[in-house]
Amino acid sequence: MTTALVVSSPGLTVDAFSKATGLHPDLVKRLVALGALDACRTAAGELRLPPAQLAAAARIQRLRAGFGLNYAALALVMDLLDQIERLRGERQWTRIA
Amino acid sequence: MAERRDFYEILGVSRDATPEDIQRAYRKLARTYHPDMNKDPAAEGKFKEIAEAYDVLSDPTTRKKYDAFGHDFRGVPDDVDPEMYRRARAGGARRQAGGPANVEYEFSGADFGDVDIEDLFGDFFGRGTRGGRRGWGPIAGADQEAELEVTVEEAYHGGKRSFTIPGPSGPRTIEVNIPAGVADGQRIRLAGQGGQGTSGAAAGDLYLVVRLARHPRYRVDGRNIAVELRLTPWEAALGASVAVDTPGGEAKVRVRPGTSSGKRLRLKGRGMPNPRGTPGDLYAEVRIMVPESLADDERRLFEELARVSNFDPRSGR
Repeated sequence: MTTALVVSSPGLTVDAFSKATGLHPDLVKRLVALGALDACRTAAGELRLPPAQLAAAARIQRLRAGFGLNYAALALVMDLLDQIERLRGERQWTRIA
Repeated sequence: MAERRDFYEILGVSRDATPEDIQRAYRKLARTYHPDMNKDPAAEGKFKEIAEAYDVLSDPTTRKKYDAFGHDFRGVPDDVDPEMYRRARAGGARRQAGGPANVEYEFSGADFGDVDIEDLFGDFFGRGTRGGRRGWGPIAGADQEAELEVTVEEAYHGGKRSFTIPGPSGPRTIEVNIPAGVADGQRIRLAGQGGQGTSGAAAGDLYLVVRLARHPRYRVDGRNIAVELRLTPWEAALGASVAVDTPGGEAKVRVRPGTSSGKRLRLKGRGMPNPRGTPGDLYAEVRIMVPESLADDERRLFEELARVSNFDPRSGR
């Protein structure tokens, strides 16, 4: 989970992302700041979120609802779940090779 | 309508469990069945059940009502006496069975046996009131994973396959196209067939992880296939053209004279197809067989061969 700085980028504005997910725009920005959501910045400094982050936002919502985790813990849990997924994928790949 | 399970039983706690016991039981079960921790489609329904039980039992007010009225608690007004309600229900049941109507009150509309639990609880993530759930909008469903065992022949030829997976609304049958040349461990994505979203949000995707079933003849290693090729001693010694079964049909293998057991004969491109490149190879592994019992002529000829041959397979080892 990293926040990259680029000159121009496609993606959803915070408002569009907020509308699509039902999350408050301030919460979207906070989740980006915590590294729970990936985003990049336009030349004008505006945040843009890749459409793939919609699924990440849904996962954040489910994890928060299911476990009552705070936002900092959510970022950690998301990273750990991603790592588990990656390791599982590598293990499968090794078995096929 | 199926009998609904008791909320305490779902969480595995006694009826006098403390709020801490209830929270601990919920958290433990949630770590096992939460859709982001467990991608098995069967876990979705279990988690919904667990979450509903916790939602009711973690709130002292709803827990008290549940204890008094059971699963009907949502439809019972606050000022109803539990004992009177119980007697009214019992009387209603007796009247239905032809018994006397000796009760003081009718609780019309109190029987919520036909209420769709999704109406009451489908928005667990969206309309709840505790644990940080307040204020969430519609939430997309989680992706799920299930194993799909396919035979070597199915993987080779591809084709349609129906299978049943569990879900919160009961088992459902899904038809999937297995692409020709699918490999062990490959994931097939079925868009929108995963976990249900809440409040009309999109469902997640279902990923089928392909597992190749063990085959009595073929051993698949990546895209290569190994198959045993049984030869008579004279075929191995003199050479032969032998038919071998492959998943794509019969193929001819040319056995060079002087082929010993263990030799691997490669049939290029006769392994598993590859939709994105070169197909695998088929390896026919030689195994020389001898008859368990010999006819007189066979015995005589083998004895003669033993007499005249100076071949020693153990020399030079």
